[in-house]
Amino acid sequence: MTAIRLALRLGQWGLLGFAGVTFLFTFINSAGFYAVAGHTQAEREAFAKSFAQIASQLTVLLAPALRLDTVGGYTQYRAFGSLAIMFSIWALASASGAARGNEERGLVEVVLATGLSRVRIVAAQVAAFAIASVVASLAAGAGLMAGAIAGQESFPLGPVIEAALVLAALAVACYSSVFLVAQLVAPRMATGVAGALILALFLLNSLSRSFDSLHALRWLSPFRYYELSRPLPPGGNFDVPATMVLLAIAIVAGGLAALAFHKRDLGSALFALPASARPPTYETSAALVWRAPIIRDLYDRRVGLATWTLGLAAIAAVFVVLTRTIVQPLLSIPGLAAYFAAILHGPIYQSFLSSLWFGVAQLLIAGFAITQVGRWSAEDTDGRLELILSNPVSRTRVVIERAAVLMFGALIIAAGSGVAVGVESHYQSIDLDPGRLAEASLMLVPVALVFAALGALLAARLPRPAVGILGIFAFASYLMLQLGPLFKLPDWVQDLSAFKLYGQPLVEGIDRAGLAILVVIVLAAFSASAIVMQRRDIGS
Amino acid sequence: MPVAAIQTSKLSKDYGLGHGLFDLDLTISPQEVFGFLGPNGAGKSTAIRCLMGMIRPTRGSAHIFGLDCLRDSVAVKRKVGYMPGDMPQFGSLRGREVVAYLGGMRGNLDPTLVRKIAERFDLDLGRRFREYSSGNKKKLGIVLAFMHKPELLILDEPTGGLDPLNQQEFYRLLNETREAGAAIFLSSHILSEVEHVCDRVGIIRSGRLVKVAELDEIHNIRLHRVELEFAPVTDVPEAAIRSTAGVEDVVVENNRVTCTVKGPFDPLLKVLTGATVTNLVSHEPSLEELFLTYYRPDAPSEALSR
Repeated sequence: MTAIRLALRLGQWGLLGFAGVTFLFTFINSAGFYAVAGHTQAEREAFAKSFAQIASQLTVLLAPALRLDTVGGYTQYRAFGSLAIMFSIWALASASGAARGNEERGLVEVVLATGLSRVRIVAAQVAAFAIASVVASLAAGAGLMAGAIAGQESFPLGPVIEAALVLAALAVACYSSVFLVAQLVAPRMATGVAGALILALFLLNSLSRSFDSLHALRWLSPFRYYELSRPLPPGGNFDVPATMVLLAIAIVAGGLAALAFHKRDLGSALFALPASARPPTYETSAALVWRAPIIRDLYDRRVGLATWTLGLAAIAAVFVVLTRTIVQPLLSIPGLAAYFAAILHGPIYQSFLSSLWFGVAQLLIAGFAITQVGRWSAEDTDGRLELILSNPVSRTRVVIERAAVLMFGALIIAAGSGVAVGVESHYQSIDLDPGRLAEASLMLVPVALVFAALGALLAARLPRPAVGILGIFAFASYLMLQLGPLFKLPDWVQDLSAFKLYGQPLVEGIDRAGLAILVVIVLAAFSASAIVMQRRDIGS
Repeated sequence: MPVAAIQTSKLSKDYGLGHGLFDLDLTISPQEVFGFLGPNGAGKSTAIRCLMGMIRPTRGSAHIFGLDCLRDSVAVKRKVGYMPGDMPQFGSLRGREVVAYLGGMRGNLDPTLVRKIAERFDLDLGRRFREYSSGNKKKLGIVLAFMHKPELLILDEPTGGLDPLNQQEFYRLLNETREAGAAIFLSSHILSEVEHVCDRVGIIRSGRLVKVAELDEIHNIRLHRVELEFAPVTDVPEAAIRSTAGVEDVVVENNRVTCTVKGPFDPLLKVLTGATVTNLVSHEPSLEELFLTYYRPDAPSEALSR
């Protein structure tokens, strides 16, 4: 029990932040249902008919929808489909941190020294994550019920609990699988290999909806067993055997992870290539990159930066393809005219791309900024900042260099995704103004800087919860901007979104007033964080 | 008169509940090796972090070579080589990359000196940081602290994790560095370490400096472990021994007495007059024993001030 409590204690901020996000996510979707679907049965059926056609275009990502004329069916599709992705990413981050991060920090060694067996450590980690995932999935269920109450309806508790259980079972299955992979490969590769596995299992299931050749293999994917249950819509089902399979995956993978952990050395992989014989070297690195401020930090982050750049470029290309694929069929649906009128301005493809891709791109670039804020907090707490400041560099210079590194990093990522959008648009025969595309891509940089600047300020005062708070702010900003027009939220609510100032540069060019405000926020927040940094004690 | 390498005046950092550092007055000369002794939590690292400008003192001031540790912190760090108590994580960076990263930040990195120190401690800079043992991490800390020939070294428990051979090598390096003109401020709770290398020692307890002394002076505080053996025909003057000033920890076993004598021997010798002492052994106090005696939590703070 102590090990479970310790694991929960170490992950409490992540759990609270994630539970907050899931609650908000289902609440906004379920409450939004009443705004977009109307209140009469006829309105809702018309909405469901139209929305089903959108859903049919997105089966590559999400499972087919059921009873979209009800809040349960709509939330099952809109929220719980995406939550499966979010929970698997959470499981990936948590499991790789628990399996390898704790080991690197020496925490595992200390726990083992207390006499706790390796099997019990793995069991405690899995059990703690199971508890956390049940809490977060129940928070998602609570968000649905709160949204229904906001729509002056009620929602039965039974299906909510069933949906939460299936979601938690999927999360634990992913967690145990990642934990197992982390035992098998080298520590520095654990997150990457496990992430590739989770992505492959997700794509295996989702692509099997479109490609018959993958049908025979989809039983391998836990996402398949997740989508077999759809308890929220009327007439939906809670597939007990499929949920048991998810739990069996969790138990078997957890058991194998425990066995692998028992067999391997701490700090090593179960299967490791023998180290090549190499004479020791006593020379420092002669690479020039280490001598140049900013460049050395970009170089230090090169793997992460390359991953972000390639990842965003790939997603951008997919969004361009999706735009070409789904816009034309959607345009033929009269019922969606009002929907498009609310969110799109200007030429249809450009507007769609602007709203769809650059909306997501802002969220993703904010995610990049938040990971950097997390790194700054970690540098502070693990003593790296202290060693940096033992050199003749001022604290103000540290803040400035951090901002510059983030700015150039965001610039590289934005440029990569901009090029991907430009190239793929060319192949998809979508006519984009290159100047506007460059502006829209470059405008992602100040968005990243806003989150970084606020994060720098936050991390100086509250280093531990800073990442969680920023994550919730980013996600809420995204939802407010994407769903605000549909739900007819007041302007002042939409103005609270950090993404509001981005505007629609792909369609309308740069909103100079918005850019100016972004710059002012960035300068003010970084200046304030420099002052706070100057006055505070390092490492506390 | 040369400027002091380190000068603090009433330097205090109050964390509340009696924790922190209080009224530290210290002057350390150039080319002096100063040992800062105290157990865990005594305030050694707090004092060092104040000197390095990492934390702001609640009151008082600290200067290094006449420069204010907070206001002139950048200029101060040009002159200082710092080794923290615990090396931070550098993950998958190789040792040579960590050196290049921090050396690039400082500028004017001398690769020859880096190679010499790394060779001396047999530190393979080609390995990744996460593969280093705790001893190798300490060695990397030594390279980082010494690689720019600083005028002052501030070392927070530098030998923890080093094996005895490398500890000896480290002491030699300290001596050479001192010979070359640098001052050294070394915190430790290993007394044998300061015996090896220090000119003066400061002892800190519960955040307060209780004693600053030359190493010889510390040795000369009279504390002896004494064993007395009386002839079988003699009555052991137990009551007289127990009541003698400066005599403590008296244990009597048949005709054998062991005790601790603080201060001069005269009072003890007087009570022994008339008894036949067949054997008397007095152990010279090691710094370790001195420290443990005076440093007991129940010992009065003034004990070492006598």
